Amino acid sequence: MTTTTEALVSEPVPDLDSDSPLAAFPEGPRLVGTRCDVCGVTMIGSRVVCSSCVSREVSALALPTTGELYSFTRLHGRGGDIRPLGYVDLDGVGVRTLTDLRETSPLVPGMRVELGVDGDDWFFAPASGV
Amino acid sequence: MSTDVFVIAAAMIPFGKHRSSSYVGLAVPPLIDAMKGAGIEKSDVDAVYVGHSYGGMMTGQRICKEIGLGTVPTVNVDNACSSGATAIHEATTAIAEGLIDVAVVIGVEKLTQFGGGALPLSPEDREVKQGIIMPAVYAMRATRYLHDFEATSEDLALVSVKARRHGALNPFAQFRTEVTLDEVLNSRAVADPLTLLMCCPTGDGAAVVILVSERARHKLGATSAMRVAASVLHSGHVEEGFRDMTKPEITYDSARDAYAEAGIEPKDLDMIECHDAFSIAELVYYEALGLAEHGHAVDLLRDGRTTFGGDVVVNPSGGLLAKGHPVGASGVAQAAEAFWQLTGEAGARQIENARWALTHVTGGGTAGLDHGACTIHIFEAA
Repeated sequence: MTTTTEALVSEPVPDLDSDSPLAAFPEGPRLVGTRCDVCGVTMIGSRVVCSSCVSREVSALALPTTGELYSFTRLHGRGGDIRPLGYVDLDGVGVRTLTDLRETSPLVPGMRVELGVDGDDWFFAPASGV
Repeated sequence: MSTDVFVIAAAMIPFGKHRSSSYVGLAVPPLIDAMKGAGIEKSDVDAVYVGHSYGGMMTGQRICKEIGLGTVPTVNVDNACSSGATAIHEATTAIAEGLIDVAVVIGVEKLTQFGGGALPLSPEDREVKQGIIMPAVYAMRATRYLHDFEATSEDLALVSVKARRHGALNPFAQFRTEVTLDEVLNSRAVADPLTLLMCCPTGDGAAVVILVSERARHKLGATSAMRVAASVLHSGHVEEGFRDMTKPEITYDSARDAYAEAGIEPKDLDMIECHDAFSIAELVYYEALGLAEHGHAVDLLRDGRTTFGGDVVVNPSGGLLAKGHPVGASGVAQAAEAFWQLTGEAGARQIENARWALTHVTGGGTAGLDHGACTIHIFEAA
């Protein structure tokens, strides 16, 4: 044998350490996103690999605080509690997020919504002026 | 396919809350009955495929050892609601490729172990951590569908009314009573706009089918049979951003491939068993399976074209809404319904001269995917 190669050691990703959807950014608390440094795709959450080009060169970014409500439901708990939940397409980044909703005005698919933060809770609500 | 594959026997227990039965207790009786129906002995079996999602380690082996069926490969398959149909797909592929001649396929699930409520999803999933449950996914599909198209909550209720009317004729159904439009609309709110009677029940069940090669069918002299004309399995593809939830691409894509494989068109079908886990799903799947244009499913429903006497009977068994939906068992139970319809053994719910049947299950709530899995089979009376 003239040359020898050694098997690459794949390393696990400590993804359980960084799975909070919300984080503090210079501009304030924001939903965490990840942008691929190679192909530019934006993804939700703290990710380590681009789901499009499979690059591992990715960076965290603060996701936009505004978007369009795609759809929603109100979950009815056994105890009579109601939890509005919806999907929001965030402005300009090609990212959809599941979110709790606050019904400060009647919810309609397609309406403008914005991020709200209340202590540890975060939610989307109809944008001011709607 | 290189070799034709046939289903020569089917058996199942009535779906329901069988609290006193384990996975073994649920599955052994239909296993014995299906093998008897096929006229096969343990020594005839080349492989066993078992679909389940919550049975735990070695579910298939635990079942088979009770009747001394072993040695041959036993493959346990988890693909959520597509588990049973995925097991059929794997068996079909192995027979079609000439690797084996006789396969036992078991679908089994015991949901009463969870004590009720929505299906437990993977706690590792991002949206599951945020509180997503399957009723919420389908409810959001429904909200958007009602917003985009000329459909109403009454249409959603009409799906349930039809399912329960069909189920009332089926001795294997969990619900065997009819319901009215008002009863559906006025039942407890679960996830707006879905009410309780627009959601499939939780329950337990098991179904078994026996698949064989043409050679084995001939050798066994099986006269009662259906041919597997198409067996398609797709996985979900991640979408980070916008997705039209009224147009689930995994079913559109699977249907396209299944029709091409079988060489038939939607209008050729006599029956469909589709994944009506929630009533909105049946409407969306009329469109995805090619029965109606996008946004026009309600026309078929309102005109009674998808019930007995219509163009194609959708969910003659009562579907998941009435027959029940023990996750891993459903895909096999759908194939059993197709088998009985195509061999003239469906009793009070028999579709006259049924020749072509399509069965469809999706599976799984996973963030970023439409569904995790989709399985479509097309069967021809043979």
